[in-house]
Amino acid sequence: MAHDRPRGLTRRDLLRSAGAVGAAAAVGATELTGASVVSPVAGAIAQQTAPDAAAGAPLPEPLEHLTASEAELLEAIADHLIPADEDGPGAVEARAVHYIDRALGGALSESHDAYRSGLAAFDRYCRSSRGGAFVDLSATDRLSALIDIETGAATGAGAGFVGSSAAFFGMVRSHVIQGTFGDPYYGGNANFVGWDLIRYPGVRTAVTPQDQTRLESGDLPPYRRSAYDWGTFNKASARRSRPRVGTGTGGDHAD
Amino acid sequence: MNMTTDRLMVVRVGLTVGMAVTAVFLARAQVSPDYIDPAAPIVVESPALTAGGTMPRDYTPDGHNLSPPLTWSDPPAGTRELAVMCVDFGAGNPPPWVHWIIYGIPPTATGLPEGLPIVAERAMPRELEGAVQGLNGWRRPYYRGPAPPSGTPHLYHFVVYALDEALGLGPGLTRADLLEAMDGHIIGRGELVPVYERFAG
Repeated sequence: MAHDRPRGLTRRDLLRSAGAVGAAAAVGATELTGASVVSPVAGAIAQQTAPDAAAGAPLPEPLEHLTASEAELLEAIADHLIPADEDGPGAVEARAVHYIDRALGGALSESHDAYRSGLAAFDRYCRSSRGGAFVDLSATDRLSALIDIETGAATGAGAGFVGSSAAFFGMVRSHVIQGTFGDPYYGGNANFVGWDLIRYPGVRTAVTPQDQTRLESGDLPPYRRSAYDWGTFNKASARRSRPRVGTGTGGDHAD
Repeated sequence: MNMTTDRLMVVRVGLTVGMAVTAVFLARAQVSPDYIDPAAPIVVESPALTAGGTMPRDYTPDGHNLSPPLTWSDPPAGTRELAVMCVDFGAGNPPPWVHWIIYGIPPTATGLPEGLPIVAERAMPRELEGAVQGLNGWRRPYYRGPAPPSGTPHLYHFVVYALDEALGLGPGLTRADLLEAMDGHIIGRGELVPVYERFAG
């Protein structure tokens, strides 16, 4: 569970660039349309002009509800909850934070305040108890701080968690699991890494006896399709305010 | 005149209740059923903790939450194994709340260094080879320090047991399991009891 991985800096840089892109996109969208909603088109333009784009590096989509620092901390937490290891990729690769960020505008909108105050309290707790931001702590201190938050021991230590720190931890854990193993339609489980991790063969509308036999022997190739790629399923949306129309492809959130 | 009398009555009742609560707290905090048998005394000390002194933050979740260093001397002749617990008799339902259990400590050990592992992948120091951390009150196999409610000082009993037999206990034991396993084998005992209190932040 505890490990230091050199790619951490790269991830942080990516998230920071996502925040910058998000801010740029928001300004662009507001100037062009007067709307406060981040435009995917403006985001794409900003991404095209970002320095990393020239280097050919894939850029993440703009953040919609979390700030860059909130997303950075949340991703570091998610990385500890479901780390990439010898069994495969983890919550970061699944883009669980992307799922949470999108869902805070829809299905998880009632949790937005809890995230805002909880992540701030989390940061205050790490700084007051371990002397630095979570992402800058040693592997042992990061794990130790997480345990204290998980067990509720961080409650009342001046961090200012609303209620028990354990409640905040439980909420984050639940949402990180959703973002890692849920349907990619909702913005997480990118490239189906979560389903591959648990060897979920994918949503199937029909299973033949041969499929069943291959499934039981572990030979059934995964069917990498979102449930929403079938026209027969209703198209719910991660965003409550903007229902999605039409079909999508797994992990590709265009709305 | 009546109001003054009423206020005095309120103050008297308040003081009485306060004294009763304090007495109950002290009784819960200081009486340990483990201390009944007359095992030989062991002197328990620490370069970081003192009896009755406030625990440094680094051994609590308000700091790095490291397990504190402990030393002991004079375990009785015939000691084959040692065990250590940290318990708070002023917490838990029922008390005590268990902060730490470590057993299977070789008889050659003269203490525990600061910051024992909180991950299974990290090995115990060589001088503690064979030692195992049992489950605390959070059902975790490592030390977790004091986290009392603000405004209430708690006492933390670091108890060292000397055993007349190497019990060969496996991982995952609770305090109750360990006490049961040690029953009849405790030939020495000692403790160090520091204090910790949190203040509203």
